[in-house]
Amino acid sequence: MTAAQRWRATLLSILIFLAFLLLWHLAARPAAGTATVDPAYAALVGNAAASGGQTPFPGPADVGAQLWHHVKDPFYDRGPNDKGIGVQLGYSIARVLLGFSLAALVAIPLGFLIGMSRVVYSAFDPFIQVLKPISPLAWMPLALYTIKDADTSAVFVIFICSLWPMLVNTAFGVGAVRQDWLNVARTLEVSRLRTAWQVILPAAAPTIMTGMRISVGIAWLVIVAAEMLIGGTGIGYFVWNEWNNLSIANIICAILCIGLVGMVLDTVLARIARLVSYRE
Amino acid sequence: MTQRFLQVQGLAKRYIQRDGKPGAPVFDQIDFDIDRGQFVCIIGHSGCGKTTILNILAGIDSASEGVVIMDGREINGPALDRGVVFQAHALLPWLTALQNVEFGVRSRWPEYSRDQVREHSKRYLDMVGLARAIDKKPSELSGGMKQRVGIARAFAIQPKMLLLDEPFGALDALTRGTIQDELREIVRATQQTVFMITHDVDEAILLSDRIMLMSAGPYARIAETVDVDLAADRTRASMHHDNRFYEIRNHLVDFLVDRASHSQESTAS
Amino acid sequence: MSLFRNPFDAQSRLTCGCGRHASQADHDRAIGADAAQARAVEGAVMRALFPQDDLRRRFIKAVGSGTALAAVSALFPLAMAKEAFAQSTGPLEKQKLKVGFIPITCATPIIMAHPMGYYAKHGLDVEVVKTAGWALIRDKAMSGEFDAAHMLSPMPLAITLGAGTSGAVPWTAPAIENVNGQAITLSMKHKDRRDPRTWKGMKFAVPFDYSMHNYLLRYYLAEHGLDPDTDVQIRSVPPPEMVANLRADNIDGFLAPDPVNQRAVYDGVGFIHLLSKELWDGHPCCAFSASRDFVTRMPNTYQALLKAIIEATAYARDPSHRKEIAAAIATPNYLNQPVTVVEQVLTGTFADGLGKVMTVPDRIDFDPMPWQSFGVWILTQMKRWGQLKADIDYQKIASEVFLATDAQRLMKEAGMAVPAGNKTFSVMGKPFDASKPDEYVASFKIRRT
Repeated sequence: MTAAQRWRATLLSILIFLAFLLLWHLAARPAAGTATVDPAYAALVGNAAASGGQTPFPGPADVGAQLWHHVKDPFYDRGPNDKGIGVQLGYSIARVLLGFSLAALVAIPLGFLIGMSRVVYSAFDPFIQVLKPISPLAWMPLALYTIKDADTSAVFVIFICSLWPMLVNTAFGVGAVRQDWLNVARTLEVSRLRTAWQVILPAAAPTIMTGMRISVGIAWLVIVAAEMLIGGTGIGYFVWNEWNNLSIANIICAILCIGLVGMVLDTVLARIARLVSYRE
Repeated sequence: MTQRFLQVQGLAKRYIQRDGKPGAPVFDQIDFDIDRGQFVCIIGHSGCGKTTILNILAGIDSASEGVVIMDGREINGPALDRGVVFQAHALLPWLTALQNVEFGVRSRWPEYSRDQVREHSKRYLDMVGLARAIDKKPSELSGGMKQRVGIARAFAIQPKMLLLDEPFGALDALTRGTIQDELREIVRATQQTVFMITHDVDEAILLSDRIMLMSAGPYARIAETVDVDLAADRTRASMHHDNRFYEIRNHLVDFLVDRASHSQESTAS
Repeated sequence: MSLFRNPFDAQSRLTCGCGRHASQADHDRAIGADAAQARAVEGAVMRALFPQDDLRRRFIKAVGSGTALAAVSALFPLAMAKEAFAQSTGPLEKQKLKVGFIPITCATPIIMAHPMGYYAKHGLDVEVVKTAGWALIRDKAMSGEFDAAHMLSPMPLAITLGAGTSGAVPWTAPAIENVNGQAITLSMKHKDRRDPRTWKGMKFAVPFDYSMHNYLLRYYLAEHGLDPDTDVQIRSVPPPEMVANLRADNIDGFLAPDPVNQRAVYDGVGFIHLLSKELWDGHPCCAFSASRDFVTRMPNTYQALLKAIIEATAYARDPSHRKEIAAAIATPNYLNQPVTVVEQVLTGTFADGLGKVMTVPDRIDFDPMPWQSFGVWILTQMKRWGQLKADIDYQKIASEVFLATDAQRLMKEAGMAVPAGNKTFSVMGKPFDASKPDEYVASFKIRRT
C-alpha cells in the first residue's frame, strides 16, 4: 500500500467511526415522556422516570465522559469491592497469563508427542474431540465444586479452555512436517531428539504459534465470563458490578477496554509468530 | 573375485493392494554392482521404481526382497556414509544456506568446533559457486541455487556414496547445463562414487561411467547396462563432437521409446 | 435504666461495671473513657438479670454465642446487653475474616459495620466481599473461603438438611439481618392490572428457590387462588438482572429485595405493587450465618463478630440514623447504587412508581432475634412446595439452626419473663401456630404434598 492509500484508509476509518457515533447519538436520545409529576416525586426518581419515560441507553457523550473518568484515575483502590479499571484489568491479565502459560506448558509437549505417532494421535483423538467443545461456563461449576477456591477455579477454567487449540495445532503441525525434511534428518543420522528439536519444532512453529494466538483469544474471552460468575476482582467483576448499578455507560467502557486488551494480546503473539515464520 | 564397493542383489519391491493381498512387484530381480569412484546413472520412464531403488539405497525405504551390501556390510537404514540429494532440494527453509550445510556437517562431525563447522561448510558452498549467497534463506534463492546448496550439503559430509534423485529435473535448461558441468568437475576432483537417477539422456552421458536402463513396471528389471566409453575429460560443449556420443544417445532414445514403455499397467512406485 | 440498678445493687461486688477489673478506674483505663459510662450501666443490667456471678457465667458459657445477646436484646435495650459478653471473650482465634454479602439492603448491618468501624472496634479485620450470587455465596461459605456470610434465612436450614446442596452441613443463623424490606414490583404496563386473580400466565422472578421471596410470593398467589407452579411461571433471577429483565419484558414482575424494587421505580421501568410488610409485618428476610463448625471452634472470634453485627443492627434500627447509613453503603464498594435509591428504601419515604410519594417508615427494619417459629414457618413452606420430601422434626431442626431455644431455656432458669414458646404471627391474616406445623401445611388448598 502506498502512503497515499494508507492515508485514504485511515480517513475512511475515521469517517466510519464518526458516522457510527452520530447514529448512536441519534438512537440514544430519550423518548420524551408526557406525564407531568409532582416535583417532590421527581426529586426521588431518575431524570427519565420523572417525565414518565424509562432511563435510556447512554449516548456517546455519556460514555465518553465515563471513559475519561476511568482513564484519569485507573489505579485507585478503595476497598476490596471498588478498584480502578486499571487494577481490575491487571488482575484479569494476570489470571489469563497464568492459565495460558500452564496450558502452553502442557499442550505443546503433549501435542508434540501426539503428533509424532499416528497411533497415539488416534488414541487421544476421541477425548480431544469430546472435551474441546465444552464451554468454559460449564467447567466453572465443576471447578468450584472440586477446587473450591474461586481464583484457582478461574485459572483452571482458562487452562482447560485454552489447552485445546494449542494441543490440536501442535499435534497437527508436528504431524504435517514435510517428509522430505525428516528424510534429510534421517540420512544425516540425526538422533530422534535432535530431529524433534531442530527439525520438527522449527517446522511446526508457525502452526504452533497460530494455536497460541487462538488460545490467548479464547483465554481472554473466558476470563471475562468467569469473573462475572465468581466476582471478586477483575474486569469481568467490574462489568458485573456496573451491571448491578445498571450503568450501561460503564459497561461500554469496560467492553472497550476488554477489546483493546484482547487486541494487544493478539498483536504481541502475532509479532512472536512472525519471528518463527518462514517461507517455503 | 574381489568384493565390489556396492552390491545390489535380488532387490524387489511389492506393495500391499487395497484388498490386502500383495500386488505384483514394481520391480524385482534387480542386480547390479558399483565400483568405488564410479558414476552410475539409471534411466527409465516414470513408475518403474527408480526413486524407490534410490530410497532403498539411501536406507529410507526397505525392499521386499533382496539385499544391498556396501563396503562389505549390509545396509540397514539411513547412514551418513550415503549422502542424498533429493529431487526437491529439501532445504530447511528456516535456515540460511550456510546453516543448512552446517546442519549436515555438524551431524557428521559432532566434535567439530563452531569455527571448524563454519569453515568446512563455506568451503563446499564455495565449491558450488555460492560464496556470496551463504546467508540467504532458501526462499531468497533461485531454483538452481537451492539445488546447489543441496549438492554442497551432500558433498560436505564426504559420504562414501552420493545418491542423486533427478537433482536437476526442476531447473531450466541453461541452469541445468551449468550445474552439470560443475558437478562433473567436483566429482572428478573428489573421485566420489555416485548413483544418480535422471530422465535427461544427455546428462546421463555427460556425467556417468555407466548407464543402467530400466524397463517399465510391474516386474521392472534392469534391461540393459551401457558403458559410456567416451573421453574422460569430456564436457558438455565438446561431448557431441565424438561420434560415439550419438551411437550411445540413439541407443538410449530407442530404448526409451520402445522397450521402456511396453507395460501400461499402473503400479505404485 | 436506673430502674434496674436499685434492687440488685446491694449484691454486686465492689468492682467495675464489667466485673473483670478491680475498680471502675482500672476498667476505664482498660476499655476507654468514652465507652466506660455505657459499660457501667450495661454491666448493672446484666447483673440485674443474673444476680449470681457464676450463673451469669454459666449462662454465657452454655450459650457461648450471640444468641444470648439476641435473646436478651429483644427484651432490653441493646446497649445494656453488650456487657454480657465481655465476661467470656478470650483472645481472638482469628482476626482477619472474610464475610460475603450480596449487594442488597438486607445486608445493611453486615455492610455498614465496615465503613462505620464496628468490626474494627472489636479487634477484627474484616473484609466484606461482594459476591455474585446466592449459590456462589453458599459454596464459598461451605468451602470455608468465607468465615461467615449473608444468606437468605431459609438457606441455613436448607444447608443443614442438605436440600439443594451436595451434602448436609450443620449451619447456624445466629442473627436475622432484617425484617420486611422486600416488595412485589410489576412492570409499568401492568399498572391497571393489579388484581392478582388476573395474573394467570404471568412470569415472575425471585432471587433464589430457598428464599423468603419465593415463599411469600407463592403464599400471596395461592391466597388469590393461583397455583404458583401451574398458573404462573416463577424463576430464579439474580437481583441485579431483575430490572433489566423487567425492562426487556422477559418477566412481568418480581418479588425482590431492595434496592431492586426502588431501582425499577427510579429507572421508570416498574412500580411497587405491594410491600412485603403488608403480607407479613415483621417477616424475617436475610440472616447472618456461619457454620456450626466456626461457632464451636472459634467461639471468641465468633462472639466478637456477632457483637459487631448486632451493634450495627441496633444502630440501624434507629430511624434517625438511616440517612447516614444510606450514604455510607451506597458507594461502589458496597451497594453501588445512587444514594437516593438506598435512602428511599431505608427511610421509608419513597416514590411508588405511579406518581405518588409514600411514607412507610418501617418499610425495612432491623431486628436480630432468630425466633424459632420463623424457622418452623420456613420449614412448613419448604414442605408445602415440595422442596422437602421426607418427614422432619420441625422443632428440632429449627432450634438447631435458629439459635434461640438455648437462650430461652436459660433465661427461664434465671427467673426472667420469657415469651412463651415462640413468637406468634399471622401471614396475610392467617395465624400460624408453630406447635402444629403439619396441620398448618395440610390446611392449604394449594400445595404439593
